[in-house]
Amino acid sequence: MLELDGLIHEYDGARAVDGVSLTIPDGEFLVLCGPNGSGKSTLVRHLNGLLEPDAGRVLVDGVDVSDAPVAARTTVGMAFQEPRDQFVAATVGGDVRFGPENLGLDHEEIDRRAANALSAVGLDGREDDRIETLSGGERERLAVAGALAMEPSHLVLDEPFTGLDSPARERLLARLRDLHADGTGLIVVTHDLRYLLDDADRVVCLADGEVVVDASPGDATEKLTEYGVRVPGR
Amino acid sequence: MSTATDSVDLVGDEVAVNLVRAALLAALMGAFAFVSFPNPLNPAVPVTAQVLGVFLAGIYLGPAWGGFAMVLYVLAGALGAPVFSGAGAGLGEIFGPTGGYLVSYPFAAALIGAVVHGVDGLVDPEGVSVARLVGAMAAGTVVIYALGIVVYWYYLDTSLVAAIVGAGLAFVPAEAVKMAAAMGIVRSEEVQAT
Amino acid sequence: MLGYEPGDSLAHRLDPRTKLAVQLAFAAAAFAHTDPRGLAMLTGVTALALASARLSPVSVIWGYRFLLPLLAAAVLFELVTLGPPWIELEAAADPLLASYRTLLIVAVAAGYVRTTPARESRAAVQWAVPGKPGRLLGAGVGLVFRFLPLLRRDLAAIRDAERARLGDERSTRERLETVGAAGLRRAFARADRLAMALSARCFSWNATLPRIRFRAVDVPAVLLAAGLGASMVV
Repeated sequence: MLELDGLIHEYDGARAVDGVSLTIPDGEFLVLCGPNGSGKSTLVRHLNGLLEPDAGRVLVDGVDVSDAPVAARTTVGMAFQEPRDQFVAATVGGDVRFGPENLGLDHEEIDRRAANALSAVGLDGREDDRIETLSGGERERLAVAGALAMEPSHLVLDEPFTGLDSPARERLLARLRDLHADGTGLIVVTHDLRYLLDDADRVVCLADGEVVVDASPGDATEKLTEYGVRVPGR
Repeated sequence: MSTATDSVDLVGDEVAVNLVRAALLAALMGAFAFVSFPNPLNPAVPVTAQVLGVFLAGIYLGPAWGGFAMVLYVLAGALGAPVFSGAGAGLGEIFGPTGGYLVSYPFAAALIGAVVHGVDGLVDPEGVSVARLVGAMAAGTVVIYALGIVVYWYYLDTSLVAAIVGAGLAFVPAEAVKMAAAMGIVRSEEVQAT
Repeated sequence: MLGYEPGDSLAHRLDPRTKLAVQLAFAAAAFAHTDPRGLAMLTGVTALALASARLSPVSVIWGYRFLLPLLAAAVLFELVTLGPPWIELEAAADPLLASYRTLLIVAVAAGYVRTTPARESRAAVQWAVPGKPGRLLGAGVGLVFRFLPLLRRDLAAIRDAERARLGDERSTRERLETVGAAGLRRAFARADRLAMALSARCFSWNATLPRIRFRAVDVPAVLLAAGLGASMVV
């Protein structure tokens, strides 16, 4: 379970996140939406302790993330925007191993995790492929695999559909549905809700660093358009 | 959670950022090796931008991480990344005619960094005087050519005069152009040091 | 351009440390025996090294064609004099042998470049340099391999944009400055995102090293390296 309690984050005195409190149970599929600059990306970076709060607390499974960053980062996996800039190795197999290697696991366990993570995103058998040869959709899925290799219970994806054509988007969505069905919690950050409303359990919308909508997808759509979020059929 | 997390010794954020910047500067220098420009003074020898990378490493990363960036450049090239002139790679290049230049880069970048920043902490390069920047780069250039020429002379068994002409004089004038370019980059609004 | 290619040649199966030892011993022996007889024998060793990597001498010379003018210049400078007798064959003998020696060393090294993936080189670095310095060097080398193609593409795009806008009328200094500034800005932007991604994936000092191990196939190559080393005192 992830808990944000009165979280405040400032950049040079400007509040990007302004007193957000949220509780995210295990296994929940949450969509975090809001216009550009509303504080979404800043907020999720607190979930695994990449940023330090200016006020408030972040708890992962009841433990403050600043006390246990490794636990937070293995519990909450993260795939950022611009996947190209988060790969560390030249090949698919090398990259997906990076997280487990950092945990000091033995080679058998690393192999097992790499194979599982790649198969979960449909990149099995591609270990020796060079990352430069991957398509945009494959890169996004590899970024997800890199996070999954840590065997997290929550997975955060920041604007995962940017630049993907519709077949690539569908393939990614299908993988996300499978992960959710297997019990992984998903937190998808987006300014465009159209592809996610049918699957999400909950929609949280930020504006100017504050939560302005927190509802089921059905109830949320009414209010969302006024915050500049794209919603199907509106 | 399935892993014991207590034993994992995380690399601190500051070290991670410096390492990544050093590695990307080394890679940028490798990318510069593909970029050649007509030499204004000697059209027969095109200018590659690599030495510009040495200048930028010292100026933007300081003596320690700038020198480290150049160690990464030479090591990655020796281990097969095509970062040397003409997309060359391999340990053989260290023992080749340009090996002296390659070996000099870490020393030159560290020296430039030390002159620009001093030895405790980094300063914003934009605030450093022109004389100091030019002096730093000139000193770095002397280190590069001194090692470059001596190694060329030793490896190829030529006379020292041949080495100075073949490995030095043909290239030195272009370095002034690169220094001017580095000055322009430091003064431009585009690059933020921190 | 010579680069790593996956394969199953003898050289591919060798441990990276073995291959590095052979290269270093070969270079040392070549410097110790820069005479026709020594270089003739080392030519045999070079042929062996290239055959074990299934690499043709022609592709090696093509890959390092940029070195040839520098080597030729050294020979010519000593060969031609500015007065009678105009041509001095004897003076050119030493640079000629030295240039040939360089080609042999480069060719043996090309075998390593073709057959050794970045992750094995990284492991060899960390084996040779233990502790935190080795971790920084190993991780840094891996990142150079990974980001080189990306930054090359950045620079190419910057130059194309530059040409389209201003043609070739600007001075070399101005062009260097534009390409350098834009390249550096993009590299630093990528670095900031990458550093965040490394932290999210628990970038640690005590990570598991990629697998490398000495096997039976390494024995003859290690003996070769030892023989080359011993030849220096003979």
